[in-house]
Amino acid sequence: MNSFLWKIGGEAGFGIMTTGLAISKLATRSGHQIYDYAEYPSLIRGGHNTYDVLISTDKVSATKHEIDLLICLNKATFELHKHRLSATSTVVYDPDEFVIEGEYHLVPIPFKKIRTEHNAQVVMMNTVAIGASVALMDGDINLYFTQIEEEFTRKGSEVVEYNKTFARLGYDEVKKNFSQYIQPVLKKQSEVTERMVMTGNEAFSLAAVAADCRFYSAYPMTPTSAVLGILAGWAEKTGMVVRHAEDEVAVINTALGASFGGVRSAVGTSGGGFALMVEGISYAGIAELPLVIFLGQRPGPATGMPTWTEQGDLLFAVHAGHGEFQKIVLAPGDIEEMFELTVKAFDLADMYQLPVIILGDKLLCESHQSLETEKVTTFTASYQPNYGKTVRTPSEQPYLRYNITDDGISERLIPGFEGVYYQANSYEHLEDSHTTEEAAPRIAQVQKRSRKWQTYLKNDFAKPTIYGDFAKAEKVLVSWGANKGILLEAQKKAKEQGIEFAYLHFTHLYPLDTELVASYFTENKQYILVENNSEAQFGKLLRAEVGIDLKEKWLKYDGRPWYVEELVEKLKIRFPPTRE
Amino acid sequence: MSTTQDFSGYGGTWCPGCGDWAIGMAIKQAFVQLELTPSSLMVFFDIGCSGNMNDYLNAYAMHGLHGRSIPTALGAKLANHTLRAVVVGGDGGIYGEGGNHFLHACRGNHDITVIVHDNGVYGLTTGQVAPTADKGYRSKSTPAGIIEFPANPLALALSQGASFVAQSFAGDLPHVVETIKKGVSHKGFSLINILQPCVTFNKVNTYQYYLPKVYKLDESYDPTDLREAFHKTNESLEEKFPLGVLYQVSRPAFHEEVSHLPADISLGMRPAFTQLEALIKQFV
Repeated sequence: MNSFLWKIGGEAGFGIMTTGLAISKLATRSGHQIYDYAEYPSLIRGGHNTYDVLISTDKVSATKHEIDLLICLNKATFELHKHRLSATSTVVYDPDEFVIEGEYHLVPIPFKKIRTEHNAQVVMMNTVAIGASVALMDGDINLYFTQIEEEFTRKGSEVVEYNKTFARLGYDEVKKNFSQYIQPVLKKQSEVTERMVMTGNEAFSLAAVAADCRFYSAYPMTPTSAVLGILAGWAEKTGMVVRHAEDEVAVINTALGASFGGVRSAVGTSGGGFALMVEGISYAGIAELPLVIFLGQRPGPATGMPTWTEQGDLLFAVHAGHGEFQKIVLAPGDIEEMFELTVKAFDLADMYQLPVIILGDKLLCESHQSLETEKVTTFTASYQPNYGKTVRTPSEQPYLRYNITDDGISERLIPGFEGVYYQANSYEHLEDSHTTEEAAPRIAQVQKRSRKWQTYLKNDFAKPTIYGDFAKAEKVLVSWGANKGILLEAQKKAKEQGIEFAYLHFTHLYPLDTELVASYFTENKQYILVENNSEAQFGKLLRAEVGIDLKEKWLKYDGRPWYVEELVEKLKIRFPPTRE
Repeated sequence: MSTTQDFSGYGGTWCPGCGDWAIGMAIKQAFVQLELTPSSLMVFFDIGCSGNMNDYLNAYAMHGLHGRSIPTALGAKLANHTLRAVVVGGDGGIYGEGGNHFLHACRGNHDITVIVHDNGVYGLTTGQVAPTADKGYRSKSTPAGIIEFPANPLALALSQGASFVAQSFAGDLPHVVETIKKGVSHKGFSLINILQPCVTFNKVNTYQYYLPKVYKLDESYDPTDLREAFHKTNESLEEKFPLGVLYQVSRPAFHEEVSHLPADISLGMRPAFTQLEALIKQFV
């Protein structure tokens, strides 16, 4: 089946987010796969919210332009989206609120009248809309009833029945009067694989628990605020200590303290908060303290566009911190990579005793995607944390915290062992951790720390992933992070139209293995860099670190993600069909 | 039984006559008298002359960033609460650069002892004004005299919920030792503000200046009386400096109120959580 785009829009505060997630879960439980994406302004009431759910029998990883079913909870939704409708698009709206002119499959449902008749709250319109949506997509209403029971049973059976009533109203209205517009989108699949519906924030949180992270501190900031709530909500169960600190400076220093104290620690933020943490990252660098930093990007500078998406902080993350020191920057491209790379980040932080930055963006942090439950359970069943050279008993005495070693990694003792002591020193230090300003030990420590990167590049750096036939491909699109999903969808769509390209997807962004990465760039291919920023930041990084200068760049920086159709259009213009 | 020698690392780098020598000695004596060892506690050094005690005092330690010794201390305490945590810093780091952390650590009643060297100047950067300097104090950064009113850390700590607030004077070593012992023994947030003459850069708040103006709180003083404690904190306006425990009340410390943190086993030592299935359910 082709993918089907369901979309709802309405005033902020109407319950759009909950409604969208309900459809995502319903589709997933019917055996389908979803990708969802919400747009909302940075305010609580009054603006316009929308929620896309793309539904398919196959894996989907980006939304699309054309809307198949649009639920308009107000007139603005229709006006803002009519350019994305076709003659076969279905539009659900309230005929008492506004009139629609044009050729669509019109499904007028008197939301307001239903509300008034039942003296119901505004949010109940959503429940009616879900009922109607389930009918229009030929879904099983009982699956939705189960969701209602899961959500409201604790509030009593009356509340459950009340919600079901409204869902049934919408459902019956479609079945009775608009059966001609019903499409078999949600028909239950014969085999239903259990899948989770997860955002990047949720995948990060679950992975942090799986990786035995025991301390998380943060200060709320979109788009990673949800992590703080999720981990705090789980804390009683997991035993993790979660602290909402007074500011991001405290956030990172508290986490560094916890790391020194002997537990895996992490922080989460966005660009502005990250800016305040930068001095702490430098401290982690010289004191060689493990730390995982989750940086969810949004458009800056300064407050920028808080609830929108951009990849504008890559170079900031790479260069964050005064002085020269080692860090690792990883950028997952989807929910599955978010889970795996987050777990890996905790291992790397311990193994190399340095800060590891997980770079996400609003698109990845807040969009839901389906992920097979088994993928996570299988992964975690065999997972053993790699604590590297972290010890509770020193292997030899006198203990030297910053012992000069060939691989650059010294034994890190967790405080408490009797008869030994040392400092996590922000000053340059001797092997025994005492402060020094002498030239020789300075050089020795700088070189020791630098060798950690060489060890990492040799053992744990991951080369870019290739999608498509790289050997044959004449055209190669190069990108990173959440663009992955969009490029993979574009790859399918473009192929249908006779344009084939390979996609080079980078996740291990810094440091880069010069020779290995350079080997992917050859004379006989045309490379196009695709980024969600205005400065081609990964392009600059490639040029600086690898010496590769990608001349052709497609950049988007309006706060919106790339759309699949948009990329396909650009490909068609760039590579017109050759005339015989 | 440990000795002060066990706690002694490299020699100090302070000016002859600096109050930091007395505080450094007092900290070691207090630790010995409390029967602590260098491996049984964590010390968090701020940046400044005070923090340069890092190479002079042996312990599991973080010598971190200027103003950030308090957040590192409370993070380490939460991770490893079976070890004691002591912060050593100056008035610039604790009340200036780290002022926000200070007031929130008081609110949280984190079980850390904060020892502040209060000398009214930035010594290590050669004599700029610090937040506790009197209004009108002339320094390199305030040649015409500081415009701001002096910070009142004792009153600030009281108003933000610190459960132990004390003051001592570097010119009275035994008193510093006793006060540190009380503060380190206290469960919860303890502030020990130590009046510490900077012999090189502060020509006003000298030993001679303080000697006639300090006085010890006597046995009739009730340290559980918050109203009286607030009254005492304002005596600095009249150039009177009460020494001793101004306020002490018993309240659960932050880590004790984290319900899922076991009392006798540190966060790092408890078994790992492995019931991931329980969390996965909510996403299905």
